[in-house]
Amino acid sequence: MNLPRILELLQEVLPAARLEVQTVPIDEHFISLPPDNLHAAVRALLERSDIYHLSTITGQDVDGQIELLYHFWEGGGLTLRTSLPRDRARIETITDLIPGASFYEREIAEMLGVTFLGHPNPQPLFLPEDWKGDPPLRREFSLPEERQEGE
Amino acid sequence: MSTRITIPIGPQHPLLKEPLSFMITVEGERVVDSALRLGYVHRGIERLCQTKTYVQNLHLFERVCGICSHVHTTVYCQGVEALLGLEVPPRGLYLRTLLCELERVHSHLLWLGILGENIGFQTIFMYAWRDREIALDIMEELSGGRVTHAGNVIGGVRIDVGDAQFSSIVSQLNDLEQRVEKLLDVIQHERTLRARTQGIGYLSPEEIRRYCVVGPVARASGVDVDLRRDCKYAAYGRLHVNVALAHEGDVWARTMVRAREAIESLRLCRQLLVGLPEGPTHVRAPRRVPPGEVVSRAEAPRGELLYYIRSDGSDKPARVKIRTPTLTSLITVHDQLEGVEMADVSVVLSGIDLCIACVDR
Repeated sequence: MNLPRILELLQEVLPAARLEVQTVPIDEHFISLPPDNLHAAVRALLERSDIYHLSTITGQDVDGQIELLYHFWEGGGLTLRTSLPRDRARIETITDLIPGASFYEREIAEMLGVTFLGHPNPQPLFLPEDWKGDPPLRREFSLPEERQEGE
Repeated sequence: MSTRITIPIGPQHPLLKEPLSFMITVEGERVVDSALRLGYVHRGIERLCQTKTYVQNLHLFERVCGICSHVHTTVYCQGVEALLGLEVPPRGLYLRTLLCELERVHSHLLWLGILGENIGFQTIFMYAWRDREIALDIMEELSGGRVTHAGNVIGGVRIDVGDAQFSSIVSQLNDLEQRVEKLLDVIQHERTLRARTQGIGYLSPEEIRRYCVVGPVARASGVDVDLRRDCKYAAYGRLHVNVALAHEGDVWARTMVRAREAIESLRLCRQLLVGLPEGPTHVRAPRRVPPGEVVSRAEAPRGELLYYIRSDGSDKPARVKIRTPTLTSLITVHDQLEGVEMADVSVVLSGIDLCIACVDR
């Protein structure tokens, strides 16, 4: 993983974006960028670097925002981090670039209520079709036993 | 033009012991479309773990999968240890790796048995599962458990190998290696197996890359990835791992890759036992974990397993994301099934070594 080269590449593709880099244990680099730039950044990584493998996408409800982490791997870990507002959690799909992202996006869509614009098959994958209530990984969702205790 | 019929397979079906649902559309005997539905064993583990302490979660994550339980706790422990800045003693790392490799042998032999059963080759099923018992016996001798070993603790392992165990395990490993080599010889030259698996479920290296497929399925299409060599976690940095590769990209190639991997794993097991360093097996870990995040990866029997762990400084994780390798292979099922005969659907599904409990979590 050639981090300086990747940063240079991303900065070249996204001259206006402010990229923040953070290194965490076990050889993983996190690069934060605005959600509007994510698709272009992934395209640049695929077309102009050796990176092709998206390990997964993590979604989490943290600090009043929905955060998405796109974990890549190429001899070392690279994660692109972006945050969406909770009430307007929408982002462009990357399935047109990486078809393998399809299941990861569907999971985040149902578990965290994120809309992936342009996803070819935005059906639930794990939750039942008749699921009612908040997406289960959002903070406002409570487990049945927690509800009983609270009521 | 013949009529299209949609056949539901599952959630309960005789092909696998675990539930998943396929809607398979056929035109005559040929599959033209398929749709997949998961979630029948979804246990909400990613949400549940936020209510449990790091130590309690060891037992929870061990139960994500009923086959590769140890590698789940390995990935989780190495993530938490990295957040804590703990250094696991070398003996602990070796023993952790030993269980990982034994688990790979047991998983691959289990898979070979299932493939045998699904193609109507009962002899292979019986032999593979008989021999797999040896791997389970060794793991039981080491940890007391055949499937859930509770071998890992945060900071190392809770198992150890004494002198008496050492010789017993080595002789069992030698016996098992001979048996797996015999099995490999049989399946390599058996025409029935070739007839049912060659050319079925083909995936090109480009498809593997586009769908981000991992593990033996990727290696059977000639994509040379193996985190044991590329990531050097646990004790793999001190071992030389020969990565099994094939280029045919079909179920036959996946069979060969897994059988060769099982033999390589047995070789690694012996290497680990012989080179086992002296010293403690674990260090004490504090209950609270400092704030931070970590991405932990390992090569499970089915490929890259990933845990993302975020700590907020308390004794419970704020978020744990688990991505199991089977999910990556399931994405390819639609492409693999297109154009195959209805009778070969079971072979295609066997070929990717499904673990639905892992996928659903």
